[in-house]
Amino acid sequence: MTTGRDDGDERALADATGLSAPPPAPAPELARAIENMRPVRTRHRFGAVAAVALAGLVWPAIALVHLPHRRDLGALPLPWVIAAAALWAAAFTASLTAALVPRRGDVLPAAGRASRIAIAAMLIVAAFALFASVDAPGVSMQPEQRGWSPLRACLHCIGFVFETAAVFLAAGLFALRRLVPVGGARAGLALGAAAGAMGGFVLHFICPFASTAHIVLGHVGGMALTAGAGALLAAAIIRR
Amino acid sequence: MDSEAQQAAAAMERYCQGDPAAFHQLYALLAPRVLAYLRGLLGDRAAAEDALQLTFLKVHEARATYLRGANPIPWIYTIAHRTSLDEIRKRKRSRVRLSSHGTPGGPDSEPTARITGVAADQHPDPAERHDASNAAAGALAALAELPENQRQALLLTKVHGRSIAEAAMITGSTQGAIKQRAHRAYVTLRRLLGKGDDGVGAGAGTPAGSTEAKPPPRKEMA
Repeated sequence: MTTGRDDGDERALADATGLSAPPPAPAPELARAIENMRPVRTRHRFGAVAAVALAGLVWPAIALVHLPHRRDLGALPLPWVIAAAALWAAAFTASLTAALVPRRGDVLPAAGRASRIAIAAMLIVAAFALFASVDAPGVSMQPEQRGWSPLRACLHCIGFVFETAAVFLAAGLFALRRLVPVGGARAGLALGAAAGAMGGFVLHFICPFASTAHIVLGHVGGMALTAGAGALLAAAIIRR
Repeated sequence: MDSEAQQAAAAMERYCQGDPAAFHQLYALLAPRVLAYLRGLLGDRAAAEDALQLTFLKVHEARATYLRGANPIPWIYTIAHRTSLDEIRKRKRSRVRLSSHGTPGGPDSEPTARITGVAADQHPDPAERHDASNAAAGALAALAELPENQRQALLLTKVHGRSIAEAAMITGSTQGAIKQRAHRAYVTLRRLLGKGDDGVGAGAGTPAGSTEAKPPPRKEMA
């Protein structure tokens, strides 16, 4: 459809592709399916995101309640603790919503937009970790105090982020497979970033290591890795 | 939503409620343009007609994932797009090279035939294209020479009147990528049609930040 434009090139392309040509009648298989169809219950705009969040939040909730909190939590400035937690939570909410909730009036979530939002969320969290990390000298732990190398501490936290992300990724990929026929990798990236952000949120309360390098590599790095894993898995499942 | 989208949404809603007449209304409204889009991507009408049937069968199977009140047109285009990608992949897998004497490419190489599923008359020699009396055939042949993603962007934004945002959603891409691909496709198409790229630069692309597809500069076909 040229939407009223009478440009010669567009007209030629419209003619070439047979835009005004009548389509064939529905094939017998399709016609039979239509004749025998029953009413269906259509989905709710927030249905998928609610289901994925419900399934995925069980483990983070258990971890927050049952795992010991970081020992410097009381010694850190309360506004900073709240701001950092809010940032991780916002990164989670924005990325998950972008991956699974269509805009009003659309049927499908916009995969390209979702990946942009997730990347922006990751960059904001990384910038916050780089420039606004706070520790409580004498109270915050260093990996060496536990007999760990900094690398081991980072890998431990990345492992925890993946543990937290697993259910989100599984439930989210199942939902994406049903919902998103194209742009799977981009939507998967947003889903993985959301799952990683939830891991970062939980670590903010339980990880005893407060150094900037640890937060950037172990927590934000974990988020970036789950985003990558989400993109790869979604690409494999949805194929494009 | 424009009136056409509202009409499609109303038909889709009744279709989900189990009204067969609503399906036929939706089919009559959208099948011509979906068929044209598929033909632009796949090249030949027979394959496009098969893909059209498959698209509407998938729409039927996926109708429970429709959101009431939403515009179903980009969604149906997305399903058609996915169907065409599957078809293109199937063709690539089934491409056959036939040989009769020797190694391909060498002096003794065999004549090689490639079965691509696209009719030969839809791939005229580029040198002969200027002589083609039918501008539509020339345009279709030029279209077939564009890279797949540029072809998609051009068809959606310039021929089918989809907005940049809709085209990005249909192809699972970003708006920036769609703008760039549509612009490049338009420049290449004009070059292939022997019209150069003068005057295309600013007009063919869509200004940054805009979500609406802009028409290309008004120039008549050669």
